[in-house]
Amino acid sequence: MTRLTSNSIELPGVLEAIETYFENGWSDGLPVVPPTPEAVTATLEAANLRPDAILGIEPVKSAVITAEKAAINAIMAGCKPEYMPVVVAAIGAITQPEFNLHGITVSTMGAAILLVVNGPITEELGINSKTSAFGPGYRANATIGRAIRLLIINVLGTRTDDGLDKATLGHPGKYSWCIAENEDDLPYGWTPMHVTRGVEEGKSAVTVFPGLSATQFGEHEANTPEGILDAFAQRLYPLGPGLDEVAIIISPEHAAYLEKARWQKEQVGNYLFENARKTASEWTAMGLQSGAQQENNTKLDAIERDRPISVLSSPESAIPIVVGGAGGGWSAVIPTWSNGSRAKIVTRAINLSK
Amino acid sequence: MTQETIRVLDPTAPLSIATDGMADRPESLAGMRVGLMRNSKMKSEPLLDAIYDVLAERFDVAGAYKVDKGEASRPAEPKFLSDFSKEVDVALLANGD
Repeated sequence: MTRLTSNSIELPGVLEAIETYFENGWSDGLPVVPPTPEAVTATLEAANLRPDAILGIEPVKSAVITAEKAAINAIMAGCKPEYMPVVVAAIGAITQPEFNLHGITVSTMGAAILLVVNGPITEELGINSKTSAFGPGYRANATIGRAIRLLIINVLGTRTDDGLDKATLGHPGKYSWCIAENEDDLPYGWTPMHVTRGVEEGKSAVTVFPGLSATQFGEHEANTPEGILDAFAQRLYPLGPGLDEVAIIISPEHAAYLEKARWQKEQVGNYLFENARKTASEWTAMGLQSGAQQENNTKLDAIERDRPISVLSSPESAIPIVVGGAGGGWSAVIPTWSNGSRAKIVTRAINLSK
Repeated sequence: MTQETIRVLDPTAPLSIATDGMADRPESLAGMRVGLMRNSKMKSEPLLDAIYDVLAERFDVAGAYKVDKGEASRPAEPKFLSDFSKEVDVALLANGD
């Protein structure tokens, strides 16, 4: 292993170190774990990474994310060394040009990065996919997501206090936003999300979403796929029409009704694409004339007014993910930045080779 | 009792491009062609037009050269910027949601 090259600072103690990271603008507003050279070296060795290995390059600023900087920020976030393969894969995913990392992190729209982990590593690391999956209490969820945010702050220089992050409202997921898919409660015959997106079955992967705020809804009466998906459609309409990518977060209770009716995964997108429609006149009457919708609505002007137009641009625009715990018919939709037109969801396999 | 010190590492990395700073300002706008680059967002054009109207009223500028860089969330292509810079003496950019 080559030597670490980051500048080091000697401080009187741990509390002084924490304060120094605050003062230097190196934190997200919460205390960080001081990254000592010993801890960074141990993390890199555990992950079998050379410090100078390049894990990703953000294309707009040509910002290079090395393994050394990734390990430093992961330790600051509170990650265990064994979380590094997930962090590494996530860095590879967010730096793909189609993810438009610079755009989504500086935009007024204020997307956060949602990480969804699939495969055997979720159980090995204890990444929560069940009760309160989006909530606190699980170290892997909390710290893997936070590591990605700290890298954006410290290596990409995209922070709120110097004006580069221009989000009008911001997003609580910018502290940390990492879950696993609840593969135990997938309806019979469904592939996990990463397999649907091309990763080999049995492997682990991380999928990154440029996510806006989730809309959770309750549907406690419908017990058919159609009834449940109609409830999803009602939450998609305010985002549409013509969404290119949107996360369809299906709770286990709703997933069970899909299984009971023997619905396959692709039927979710097919049903929403075919049935969640409004005419151009209806879309216009909803008044979605600003922000992300303005371009789609401008296009509507050229379309005959009575033709039904889907809320989705294709059946594949719906990305079903089963998430959450037993009990409670609560599901959600998570829109993506620019509704998926200018930033794409990316999946990367997690490499565990030593 | 002596307190033990702790050595910690800098989590930042230097960026190879400048993220701040201002271009040199001309002493006068007289005779200069003013480039107006909008970013495809709906309010960027009226904003630039309004600023240009003020400049044209106050200074003896040599006209405007208007372009749209398209895609607001990505930088303009180098050739687009190079072509633009050949056409103008000074430039204004606007980001108008």
